[in-house]
This record gives sequence, C-alpha cells and structure tokens, in this order.
Amino acid sequence: MSLVSGPGRAGGNALPDELQLVIEPHVKYIQSLDTRKDELEYWLTEHLRLNGLYWGLNALHLLNRPDALPRKETIDFVLSCQADNGGFGAAPGHDAHLLYTASAVQILAMVDGIGELEKRGKEGGAMAVGKYIADLQNRETGTFAGDEWGEEDTRFICCAFVGLSLLKLLNLVDLDKAVDYIVSCANFDGGYGVAPGAESHSGQIFACCAALTIARRLDKVDKDKLGMWLSERQVEGGGLNGRPEKLEDVCYSWWVSSSLSMIGRLHWIDGGKLSRFILNCQDPENGGLADRPGDMVDVFHTNFGLAGLALLEFDGLEEVDAAYCMPKKVVERVLGPEYYNYS
Amino acid sequence: MASHGVPRVAETAQRTEAQRLEEERQIREYRDLEELISAKIAERQYTLEVLELTSKLLKKNPEYYTIWNVRRRLLIYGLFSKPSDSSSHLTASPNSSLTDTTKASSENSSSSTITTSGASTTTPQNPAFPNRGRNGTTLDLIRGDLEFLFPIMVKYPKCYWLWNYRLWLLQEANESLESDIARELWNRELILVGKMLVKDSRNFHGWGYRRKVVSELESPKLGGRSMVESEFEYTTKMIHGDKGLSNFSAWHRRSKLIPRLLDERNASDETRRQFLDDEFELIISAMYTDSYPYQQSAWFYYQFLMTTLTDYVGHGSITPNFTPEDRAEYVTRQLVILKDMLDGAEDCKWIYNALIDYTMALCRMEERKPDLDERQDCATWLAELRKLDPDRSGRWDDLEKSLRD
Repeated sequence: MSLVSGPGRAGGNALPDELQLVIEPHVKYIQSLDTRKDELEYWLTEHLRLNGLYWGLNALHLLNRPDALPRKETIDFVLSCQADNGGFGAAPGHDAHLLYTASAVQILAMVDGIGELEKRGKEGGAMAVGKYIADLQNRETGTFAGDEWGEEDTRFICCAFVGLSLLKLLNLVDLDKAVDYIVSCANFDGGYGVAPGAESHSGQIFACCAALTIARRLDKVDKDKLGMWLSERQVEGGGLNGRPEKLEDVCYSWWVSSSLSMIGRLHWIDGGKLSRFILNCQDPENGGLADRPGDMVDVFHTNFGLAGLALLEFDGLEEVDAAYCMPKKVVERVLGPEYYNYS
Repeated sequence: MASHGVPRVAETAQRTEAQRLEEERQIREYRDLEELISAKIAERQYTLEVLELTSKLLKKNPEYYTIWNVRRRLLIYGLFSKPSDSSSHLTASPNSSLTDTTKASSENSSSSTITTSGASTTTPQNPAFPNRGRNGTTLDLIRGDLEFLFPIMVKYPKCYWLWNYRLWLLQEANESLESDIARELWNRELILVGKMLVKDSRNFHGWGYRRKVVSELESPKLGGRSMVESEFEYTTKMIHGDKGLSNFSAWHRRSKLIPRLLDERNASDETRRQFLDDEFELIISAMYTDSYPYQQSAWFYYQFLMTTLTDYVGHGSITPNFTPEDRAEYVTRQLVILKDMLDGAEDCKWIYNALIDYTMALCRMEERKPDLDERQDCATWLAELRKLDPDRSGRWDDLEKSLRD
C-alpha cells in the first residue's frame, strides 16, 4: 500500500452542481497504490505502510468492495510486519509500535483473519500480540506508551483498546486506571488533549471517546460541554476543523463527527453541508480524497472522508462504527451481536 | 502524515525520461543507504560512522521512526560507553541488535531499558553511566544530536518522532550527566521551544514540549523551583502576540496555570477576587476591540472563567472561598455586561449563547426555576441563535427542550 499522494487532485470547480460520490475511481485509486514503486515518495512513506493498508482496506469495505484487495496477500503482508515481541511494525523489518499493531489487528479483523495469528503468527498467536500491547501500559498511571521508548499519548490508549478488544484480551490491562487517566486529561471545555494539561484537540478527543466507548465508560464525559465545543468545529463552508480558529480538513470530518456520534450529538452539526464539503474533496476522475478541495489526494484522507460520509449514512456506503472506524458488520462479526445490544 | 495542504501544482504532468531516470537514481540511493545501515547494524558496528549514515537517511526522511530507534541503540549500546576515540568497532550486547525489542516497555525511563538489556558481554563499561561528568563523549554526543535535530524540526515542526526523540535524548542526559550539566541542556530547550512557538504559535507539539521542559526544570532532581510566574507571563505575552487573542493555545495554558499561580502566591481572598476581576476585564475589553466578539477563542476563555463560578466543583478554582451568594452576584453582573455587549453586536451568536447558558446556570445555582422574564429572554435569544446559526439547529432544538424542562 503506497502512501504516495496524488496523482489525482480534489475537484472544487469542475464538479457538477449535483455532487455525487464516485465509487469506481476510488476503488481503482486504492488498488493502484501498491504499483507505484517507481516513485521516491513510495519509499519515503514506508513508515506508514501498515496504517495505509488499513486506511485503504477500510475505505474499500465502506464502498462495499471488500474483495478489491486480495485477501491472502493482505494477510501475508500483515504477518510479515510482525516483530519477535508480538507487536507489529509499519513494514517488514520496522520496529513494533502500537500505532501499527492496532492497524494490523483491524486489518485481520476486516478480512476475518485473526485466526491466522495462531496458525502463522509469532509464537503465542493472539496472546503474543495481546501481551505486547498490555506490557505497554504504565501500571502506575494507567496510560500507554507507544513503544518500548516510552512516548505517552492518549492516542495509544485508543490503539491498545481497539487491538485488545478485537482480540478479546481486554482483561490483560487495568481498564479502570486507563479510564481514570483519560478523565485526568479532560479540560474545562469538555475536551481532551494528549496528556493531562494539554489543550483539547479533536484527534485526541476521538481517541479518548473511542477508548471510553470500548471500556463502556462514556458516563465520564461531559457530553453537553464537549458537544458544544465539537459542534463549533464546523466552519462556514461545512467542513470541520480540529481546534478553534484552525482550517478545516477532511480528516476532522471523521475525528469530530465520530466523537459527536459517540456522545449522541451528531445532529448538532449540519450533516448535509459536511457531506457536500467531503464530496468536494474528491477527485472524481482519478479517485481519492484530499484534505481540502484543490489539494493532492491521499489514502489517509480518502479513508477518513469516506468514513465521515458513512457516519452521516450517505447513500451507498456501509454503516461505520464510530469507535473502531470499521464497518459495523465487521465489528459485529468479531464481537458478536451483543456488542450493539449493550445498554 | 499524508499530504496536508499540498496544492497540486500542475495537471498530472507526465515525467520526462530524464526526470524518471533521476527519480530512479534517488530511489536507488535511498534504498542503498537503508540497506547499508541494516548491514552495519547486523554486524553490530555501533560506531560514529553508522551514526552519520543514519543522519544522512533521517535528513531525507525524518518520519522513519525505526531509524531513530537505531540511533538510540547506537548511542546507548555503543557510543555513550566509548572513550572519546570512537572509531573502534565494539561488540555490543547480543540482545541489542536492530530487532531487540524485548525490554520492559511500560517503563518511562530509558535508563531502565539499558539496565535490563543484559550487559553481560564485552561492552567495556556499564553503559548506563559511562561518562558521568563534564567532559565525556556522552555530553558531546547529546549536544551534537540536539544540534543535528534543530534544523530538521524547523523544517518538519509537526513530526511526532522528532519531538519524541529529542525528549529521549534529554532524559538520557538526566541519567548519565551531572545534574547541573543536564539542567543547562534543558534550559536551552526553553529557548528552542520559544523559537518554535514564534514560528507557529498554535503548534501543539511545541506547547506540549514546553510543558515537559518546564516540568523538568522545576523538578527537584535538577535543583529546580516553580516557574509558574514566568510561564504565566509567557501566556500574557503570547496572547498579545501575532495570533493575538485568537491564540487559544495560550489561553488554554493560562487556564491551567492560574489555580497553581494563586496557590503559590498564597493569595488572599481579596487578591483572588481582584485577580478574577482583572481576567474578566482582560477578556471583555478584548471582545470590545477588533473582531473578537466573533472569535471563539475569547469565548472559550470566558467560558473557563465562568466555569470557575458555575461548576466550581472539580475545576481548578480561582476564588474557592466565594459563598454561593458571591458566585450568584458575579454571574448576575456578567449577565448585565453581556446584555450591554449586544449593543452594536446584535449579530454575534456567542453573546446570545452565553446569555442563555448563564441565565440557566444562575437558576441552577439559586436552586430555582427561571422566572417569567428569564423565560421570555431565553426564548428571544434562542430565536436569534436559530437565525444567526442555522448550521447548529439540532443543538438549538435540544437547548429549547432543556429550557422547557
């Protein structure tokens, strides 16, 4: 999976009045990504390869084209990124990190391949992956480091919970402590930052809300305050920004609206306007979405733009789970129907 | 991360043959360099020469996190433990190859990673404290690395791995150098991060880094003491800086510092009251100038100040000894100010929103239902909100329901 941007450019002026979601160009765009090894950028983005595969595959699933990438090669590639310690790196030979370990588990879940960990993964199978993740928890504070070098960030709590829950190994960590830590990151505006004391940021808010959703502890969120702050991320043109007084960006169509959805306040923004903004970020001919109309497309924005549309129940897209950023179908298959019946 | 804000310059121009060949050459050069580093590490050549090779690669690609990790291992398993002549090839611990990721990873301090890595081999000294002192190569290496990083950080100010690696280097300094030397290094970081925040006063990596640097400089192990006063002054400076009052990062930081600032000043009730008045004065006079009543940063800071009165449990308070009557009096006074503010700013949704929120908050604080006037006012303000801000009509619907209850 290449993270090379382009070749397409998001439309803006060339689009017809009636905006449409193009499907086939997006599928072709994602399929073409691994054929671009003659571009330097392909090699310069190798540190994102496994994330890229997750972004591309998730986008394809949401477009109802789950088989557009070959299943066996997908699993082979994921397993080739596993390190001896059980975690996954961005590409073969790269160091393990939670960011890629979460993507690896998500990809395996999407292709119904978690069982392959037992057959062909490192010794210990799913448990080896679970232990890798669990060992990264700081048992004193509850938070997680991204890897052995100790960087801590609320994003990593989310990665840990996503990975562990899909492997059904959440019992390996101290959930209550992690939840307390997230609570300690809350600000007066209802939002969350990277660490206690840090400014509220939509990406971190998504991470914290997703972790709290998985831990079934959304009761800890001040939903009205947070909802107000999040709804003010919508700018005049319909797009969403990540923090006050910043530019809008398609990826926040996901971080902000999924958070609003998790706290039951997605109707606090104008979904129609947001959809139009996202559609304007498409390259209708060559496929892919960009951060803003007129910019270069890439697979990261392609995934989060489509996921945003899916969350708004845009016609023709699969339903998406707000915490996992994966098709609800997949989450239900892995976690069982009771996951959505929980009250 | 992907391409943010990169405009497409020309229509998908086909590369010329010469461009194609040039790109091919660059790819070859990049991949050869990668392979060379891999091969040298596999041979456990933990040398300055290999460190240089990683520098070359990282300048081309600072996002290559595995190479930053290689660099860490080069330093802690090889170079830190060497005498100043570091051209000789040392055999490092067999565990410390490229793929050595077996260490207890939940621990923060990298010294613990070193000591658990099994120093059972020919490494000449305990690598944790090889050159404790003023003149060792460890200090030179750390200094050199910090200098190497700076221009890359200026070029890629949003690259997580860079900030992260830099912090790791300084924590290494804490572990292996005398505290006055380490402190000197951290002091310089405060200047560096100041420069980074001048370039982009909203960079949250920069603000986060600043928080960490300050907390290190305050820590007893570096002989530090509280910097809350100077940090508070810094936020004042930033608020009056380029992004001005729309710099929410600065307002946020201010909101976090105030409770501590007042505690450390041992502020009396009277001083605290004056402090709160001054902060209100600062934000309200800001709203009266330029276009600030329409900028949300100012309103979120205003929300912070009001929160200390309305939701006083659980948030760092400015005036903890205020009686319920004091609080109600302050909120009432603010409602008057807000109503005045509408004059000439009738199209400012933030004012209506605040008027409704704090009218309702006042009723809650006084444990009563809104009276008829208040209900009518709220209904009028809500109608304005709907008119001025139709995008959030779902929010106004919910607000209307809550007003009815």
